[in-house]
Amino acid sequence: MKRLASSVLSIGKAKTLSDRFESEMLALLPRLRRFAAGLARDPARADDLCQMTVERALRSRDQWQAGTRMDSWMYRIMRNLWIDETRAASRRGQTFVDEEAGAAVGADGGQEARAMLTDVDRAMARLPDDQREAVLLVMVEGWSYKEAADIVGCPVGTLNSRLVRGRDALLALLGEAA
Amino acid sequence: MTITPEMIAAYADGELQGAERDRVEQALARDPALARQVEAHRALKARLSAHFAPILDAPLPEALTRAVRARPEAEVLSLDAARKARAASASSGTRSRWAWGAGAALAASLALAVVVNRPAPSGGPGYADGQLAAALDTQLSGTPAAGAPVRVMLSFANAKGDFCRGYSGQAGAGIACRDARGWRLEKAFGGSAGEEGVYRQAGSADPRLMAAVQDMASGSALDADAEKAAIARHWKR
Repeated sequence: MKRLASSVLSIGKAKTLSDRFESEMLALLPRLRRFAAGLARDPARADDLCQMTVERALRSRDQWQAGTRMDSWMYRIMRNLWIDETRAASRRGQTFVDEEAGAAVGADGGQEARAMLTDVDRAMARLPDDQREAVLLVMVEGWSYKEAADIVGCPVGTLNSRLVRGRDALLALLGEAA
Repeated sequence: MTITPEMIAAYADGELQGAERDRVEQALARDPALARQVEAHRALKARLSAHFAPILDAPLPEALTRAVRARPEAEVLSLDAARKARAASASSGTRSRWAWGAGAALAASLALAVVVNRPAPSGGPGYADGQLAAALDTQLSGTPAAGAPVRVMLSFANAKGDFCRGYSGQAGAGIACRDARGWRLEKAFGGSAGEEGVYRQAGSADPRLMAAVQDMASGSALDADAEKAAIARHWKR
């Protein structure tokens, strides 16, 4: 009886912590999906990436400390998983998404919007990976340069120059009017 | 002092401060071409944000939310932790086991006092009464006093916006939703009424219960703060 009681107490405690962890993660999912859509440029692959990120985060939950930011932690996990994926793919000599297939990632607003959005998707697809992730983190996900550099794991100056090259390329591709 | 493209971009992103920002602003005032670059950067940012914004409002794929909620790994982790804690307390001698036991006994008597002092009204047939209603009213999920007759596993809102709670007790597990009359019993799963304490040993919820919750819940489970707020409002929505 006493043995049972003690195990119930520790299970109860673990469960409360675990519920908080999970509800915070649930709240992050829309933003993670947006970042995944930008990285993977294909809705199905983006959701696969999200799924992998969630599973990795649940397995590595011991590395996350309550009270620290969960969002940057999970962005970092997602970013690193994506890098691993793309490296593995280039070793296999494959590309996941051809440039024309990247369309309609964020499309939910009918034909007209979709046709317009296609330009952005195509332009994003032509950026080198390091420039694309810098553009996504700062211009879409709204991280500061310092936060974005932390997620990528590079110096702020490096992040800044990748960002400038990426956005210059986008401006050239999308036209001055952007 | 030249103004680099990096500085223009950083200025457009609101990343510059102090003297650097002043210098860029002076340059912008002198040079309309630079000012146009800043505008182009901002327009690009607006276009990119707008492009990806619909994803934030799109419904989440069920597989994804299930991966977080169903949490097979998480469940194993906490059960593992529980098993380790149990092994540790078993091997560390009589004294610590007695300490645990004493605490649990104290908690149990407190829980009984709460139940006795707060007889919960029942909404009638089909509604929870007695100890179950009291637990549903006041217990935070996952934190029952040891020996409590009912463990509330989790809370969530159903499609109508009513609060519902999944629980596990000697008579089995179930789900009750709060309406104007009380805790309406929505689901019941016959349980381990036999051996005393068996239901309390189960740290993980009855899978039938969790499946039913998945079907009924319109969002995620309430966290501890949301539960406290709901308890304070007597679970009125």
